[in-house]
Amino acid sequence: MGFQSKKSNLSDLVQRSQWMRRTLFEMVVKHGAGCLPSCLSMVEVLISLYYGGVANVVAGEPRHAKRDRILISKGHAAMAQYPILADYGFFPKAELERFSEPGGLLGIYADFRVPGIEGISGSLGHGIGMGAGICLAARADGQDHRSFVVVGDGECYEGSIWESAMFAAHHRLENLVVVVDRNQLCILGRTEELLSLGSLEDKWRSFGWDVASVDGHSYKALLGAFDRVGHTDGKPYVIISNSVKGKGISFMEGNAEWHNKIPNEQQIARAREDLSVNCISV
Amino acid sequence: MSSPSLMRDAFIDYIYEAAQKNRNLIFLSADFGAKALDRFRQDLPGQFIHAGISEQNMVDVGAGLAIAGKQVVLYAMAPFIVPRCYEQIKAVLCAMNLPIALVGVGAGLGYDHATLTHFTPEDIAATKALNHMEVWSPADSPTALAIAHLVAEQPALRYVRLERQPMPAIYPEVTRDDLNRGYNHLCQGRDICIVACGYLVHKALKVQRMLAAEGLSVGVVDVYGIKPLSADLAGLLGGYGAVVTVEEQLLEGGFGSGILESMAEAGKLRPFKRLGLRNGFDVSNGDRDVLHAKYGIDTPDIAAAARSMLQTVG
Repeated sequence: MGFQSKKSNLSDLVQRSQWMRRTLFEMVVKHGAGCLPSCLSMVEVLISLYYGGVANVVAGEPRHAKRDRILISKGHAAMAQYPILADYGFFPKAELERFSEPGGLLGIYADFRVPGIEGISGSLGHGIGMGAGICLAARADGQDHRSFVVVGDGECYEGSIWESAMFAAHHRLENLVVVVDRNQLCILGRTEELLSLGSLEDKWRSFGWDVASVDGHSYKALLGAFDRVGHTDGKPYVIISNSVKGKGISFMEGNAEWHNKIPNEQQIARAREDLSVNCISV
Repeated sequence: MSSPSLMRDAFIDYIYEAAQKNRNLIFLSADFGAKALDRFRQDLPGQFIHAGISEQNMVDVGAGLAIAGKQVVLYAMAPFIVPRCYEQIKAVLCAMNLPIALVGVGAGLGYDHATLTHFTPEDIAATKALNHMEVWSPADSPTALAIAHLVAEQPALRYVRLERQPMPAIYPEVTRDDLNRGYNHLCQGRDICIVACGYLVHKALKVQRMLAAEGLSVGVVDVYGIKPLSADLAGLLGGYGAVVTVEEQLLEGGFGSGILESMAEAGKLRPFKRLGLRNGFDVSNGDRDVLHAKYGIDTPDIAAAARSMLQTVG
C-alpha cells in the first residue's frame, strides 16, 4: 500500500513494550499526573497497532488521507499514544518532557489538537459512535481506511456503547475494529464484583459483531486476532483484550487503588526496578 | 397572511435541495419524520441515516462524519436532541467545535399534551450555555427557510429550535441580512416593547393589536437569533419606556434573562418584566392555550403585564 508504518519483528515489539512502559512511567512520575495503570494494560494493543503492521500510519504525516484512524475512547489512557506519536515524528519528542505542563502540547486527556489524535476523548462512551461515523464517511467517499477504537471494559457500562454497537452491526461496518481493554478493574474495584459485565464476548456477539478474545499481553495472540481484520464477512469486529491493569509494575497490577494515584519515592524506586525487567517475552 | 405551514417542512425542503447539490451533506434522524423528509429519504438514500431511537449515538456518529469532512444535520424532537444528548453535545461537538446543525422540533411547550417528558422549558438556557453553540429560534416558516440556507451554506455548530405546529407566516421573505441582524422590529412603538421568540411572537402581535386599540403605543420584537444575541438590540429596547419579555422557558437563565443582561451591560436598562415558567411549575392536560393561561404567559397575561408596567412607568 506504500505505507511506511513502522513494522517490527516480534522481538522488537517485545522491546518496545518495555520502552513504552518506562517512558509512560517517567512521564507520569515527573509530572505527578496521569492514569498510568490504565495505560499499562493496553501497551501491547497500541504497539501491535502502530508497530505490528496492523494499522496504516505514515511517519511524519499525521493527516495522511489514507491513514487508519486510531481513537482511544478510554480517554484517561489516550496519553499512552504520546510516546508513539512522538516516535512517528508527529510532534517533537521534547513535548513528552512538557507533558501536562502549561504551554506544553500534551495534556493528561488526549486533545484532538495533538497531531495523531483523531478525536477528543475523556468522557466515556463516545469513541465507537465517532469511529462508526468516520467509517460511514469513508464508505461514502470510496475510501478503505479503517477505524480502530480502544474502549475500556468499565466503559462498556455506558449505554451509548451499545447504541453504537447495534448501529455499526446494522451498517455492516467491517472497517470498524474495536478493542475492549478487559483489565477487569474500574476506579472502585473489580467490575464483576461492583456491577457485573458478564460475558462481553456473548454481549458483543449478540449485537452482531465478530468477536475474538485473546491474551492482551501476548503479541502472538493479538497479532493473530488482528489478522482477521477485514475478513469478518461484513461484520464489525471486536477484540476482547484480556489484560492486567498496571501491567509491569508489581504493586499496581490488578490493584484498583492505583487508578490515578502517584507513587512516592520508595514506590518509584521499586517500580523502576520492576520495569528494568521486561514483563513481556516473545 | 398565507396559510399556516410547518417550519420543519420549509427547513427540510431546502436542505433537500442543498443536499442534491452537495453530496457531502448527510441528514440523520432519530426516528423522527416530516412530510418533506419522505422525499429526502427516497431520493437521497445515501445521504440519509436512520439513527434509530438512539439519539446519543446519533450525535457521536454525526461527530465522526463531521470529523471526516461531512456536513451534518441531526434531527429529532427537541427534548431528545438537547437534554438527552447534552453530554454528547458538550463533550464532543462543542469540545471540537464541529460544524453540525442540531434541529429540534417541538421546543418549549410544543408537545403540549405530552407534558413534562416532552417539554423543553430549559432548552434555551441549556444551549446558550454551551461553548461555540449558536441558538436560532424562528417564528415562522420563511425564517426557518432562511436558517436552512444558513445551515447549508455556512456550516457551524448550531441549535435550531423549531415549532411543532403549523404557523402563519409573519414575513413574506427573510434574507441573510435579516438573520445577521438577529431580530426584527415587527412593530414600532414608544411606550412599551414586547420581546419574544418562536411561537410566542404570534401572541405578542395579538397583544400589540389589543393594546393599540386601547390607544397604547406598543412595539414588538421577534428575536430569532438568540445566540449570539444582537449587540444593537439593547439600544433599540432602551428607547422604549419599558420592556416585557415572554417565553415558554423557566425564567432562570432563559430567553428574557439574556435580553435583560444585554440591556444591563449596555447601560440601557429600562423597567423590565419577564413572563415565563416559574420554578416549581406544574402541569395539567390541555393545549398550548390552556398551558399558557396556567403559566401566566397567555395573551391576556402579556397585555395585563404591559398595562401594569405602563401605569408604573407613567
